[in-house]
Amino acid sequence: MTVIDNNIEQIKSDLIQMWTLVINQMEKARLALVNGDKNLAREVRMNEKRVDAFELKLDMDSEYVLMLKNPVAIDLRFILSVLKINYNIERIGDYANGIAKVAERLDGPVPEDILQATHLPEMFYTAQNMIHVSLKAFENSERNSVNHLFGMDEKLDKTNNNANAIICKLIQEKPDDIMLILNALSVMRKLERTGDHILNVAEELIYYFDANIVKHSKKNEDF
Amino acid sequence: MNTKQLKQKTAFIIIGTLSFIVVAILVIILGFIFIRGIGVISWEFLTAMPKDGMTKGGIFPAIVGTACLVLGSMIFAFPIGVLSGIYIHEYLSESWLKKFLRMMTNNLAGVPSIVFGLFGMALFVNYLSFGDSILAGSMTLGLLALPVVIRLTEEALKSVDDGLRLGSYALGATKIQTIQKIVLPIAFPNILTGLILSIGRVSGETAPILFTVAAYFLPRLPQSLSDQVMALPYHLYVLATSGTNMKETRPMAYGTALVLVTMVLIINFSASLLRRRINRKNKMV
Amino acid sequence: MTQAEAKNVNVWYNNFQALKNINLTFEPNTITALIGPSGCGKSTFLRLFNRMNDLIPKFRLEGMVTVNGQNVYSDDVRLDEMRKNVGMVFQKPNPFPKSIFENVAYGLRVNGINNKKILEETVEHSLKQAALWDEVKESLKKSALELSGGQQQRLCIARALAVQPKLILMDEPASALDPISTAKIEELIFELKKTYTILIVTHNLQQAGRISDLTAFLYLGELIEYNHTKKIFLNPDDERTQNYITGRFG
Repeated sequence: MTVIDNNIEQIKSDLIQMWTLVINQMEKARLALVNGDKNLAREVRMNEKRVDAFELKLDMDSEYVLMLKNPVAIDLRFILSVLKINYNIERIGDYANGIAKVAERLDGPVPEDILQATHLPEMFYTAQNMIHVSLKAFENSERNSVNHLFGMDEKLDKTNNNANAIICKLIQEKPDDIMLILNALSVMRKLERTGDHILNVAEELIYYFDANIVKHSKKNEDF
Repeated sequence: MNTKQLKQKTAFIIIGTLSFIVVAILVIILGFIFIRGIGVISWEFLTAMPKDGMTKGGIFPAIVGTACLVLGSMIFAFPIGVLSGIYIHEYLSESWLKKFLRMMTNNLAGVPSIVFGLFGMALFVNYLSFGDSILAGSMTLGLLALPVVIRLTEEALKSVDDGLRLGSYALGATKIQTIQKIVLPIAFPNILTGLILSIGRVSGETAPILFTVAAYFLPRLPQSLSDQVMALPYHLYVLATSGTNMKETRPMAYGTALVLVTMVLIINFSASLLRRRINRKNKMV
Repeated sequence: MTQAEAKNVNVWYNNFQALKNINLTFEPNTITALIGPSGCGKSTFLRLFNRMNDLIPKFRLEGMVTVNGQNVYSDDVRLDEMRKNVGMVFQKPNPFPKSIFENVAYGLRVNGINNKKILEETVEHSLKQAALWDEVKESLKKSALELSGGQQQRLCIARALAVQPKLILMDEPASALDPISTAKIEELIFELKKTYTILIVTHNLQQAGRISDLTAFLYLGELIEYNHTKKIFLNPDDERTQNYITGRFG
């Protein structure tokens, strides 16, 4: 084991911990929203500080490796992709935090009919699954599972594209619940953004595995 | 004090003492010769012919004779020795021939000088019919000096950094250019030292000249290369062992010894002086 | 046009095969770094181009080595003429114990040029190219041994440039120097690329990355990978290359 291996192992394990933490944050935020659990929501908001701490530590450690260990080839690609993955995962942590805030603001659980109308459960499922799959791909160097992420994101986008129509219809049907509905819309937006960030992560993973830059080419194909 | 330091100190004392003893012996010998010999040293002693069965007069012919022999032997040994050294070190690759030549050179250096004397007599005096002459004596002494000159030339060449040779070749220089322009100028001071040291050795030898050139008593200067000459070491030997009047010649013997030793010392000192000067100059050129 | 080329080159020392079927071409005005662990044959390979290996006993070559399209191992090649076309800079600065001027003029003098004016012009030009002129122009008569290590190495580069070679071989030229001298040498090498083709053996991978356009990785006498330096250092094709440059060898 070389000197740089120690640093890389450490960074990898820290990033995995952060990633797992964010997965838990998202799950807790979902439960808080669906069950109207304000305590859980508060817990999510407290934990947000831990996510931020991880981000800072990973930035510093990566900087340190770049500065002193002269990484090249796969090591260099690892560090460069970690720097960006780190940023994207932290943003997802922010969204979980945002969703928890919404749950805190509401007076109770989001009613079942609104949940169904906004497709929030499916969106949560897809977004959370994406975070999970990308983590496994990173952790076990599974190049193939990265490709699934692009299809999953399309699902999220499709739901989100219909969001305005769905929300308009809901407001017309239930003008009294307008605040609740708008909050649901903001959660939809956050989940959609989560998907986008995971796609960024996916691109970084491809760069790490293959040294291919798919960043803008892939998006162009999609749209 | 622990054992390690004790060992260190003991070794230091032993080595120091031994070095001191060596120097002391040298000083005693030189002092002994100086005290016994200085009494007879005079301008006349250095410049006059020996007289009255070598009990009176000087040693001038012996000084001249030794100078002739040294010069002659160097004219013979220096070119051959230096060129051989260059050939062995620069031109021969590591092969059996090189090893063989090295071995023979070393063996030659180990041959007792009396054997050189006999060989010189057989080859130069008798076979080539030079007779007892400066020519025969110089060549015999030259043979004696040859291995020293070869070895020291080789050593001098060896001390030249190979990187410089490669640098020269890489610039398109040929082998002979590299030797001429780079290797020899750097090795020259050391070669010169070797030469002068071998002069010191040659000037003190008795055995090789015994049968080839030295005259027991010849109170005149040599006229040609085929003349016999007196020589300092042999003259000393004669005065000390087979003079006409041992009691009378004893001070003369010490005087001769003093002259010989002084000559050798001066030669050796000048060697190191010359080398230091050339080394300093070499850096500047 | 190809500046230098090795075609199906095999080299033996006695029974030891030092190079195994190497094929490489070098384009003009490029810097190619030869990297690999000690004993991989990179120095041997470098020295093919000015036939420095000839000096080693039991050296045997198969294949073809060309410089400027000329086979340097063909029988009608004159070594001294051929070596003029190929400059070489060694690991340890090896200025001759002569004056700065005579060091640079040496290559010309051994090639029969003794015209004072030509010598002076060439010495000045070469020292300028080697970025040493301003430091030594007042003291050309001074011994080269009085220069610092870095200056000595630049003098050796100037000395190589004076015979106007096309190809310059460098055998770890900065490995004996401090970081500042190293930086100057690297800057100089980069500058020289405009005029010359440079092959450089280096153990310093960062140095290879900093200055070379192309990198060749040799291992156990084989050419494992030859590609643009960027490619080698970002994503080498061969796992052995990756292991070597990331320090995970063996």
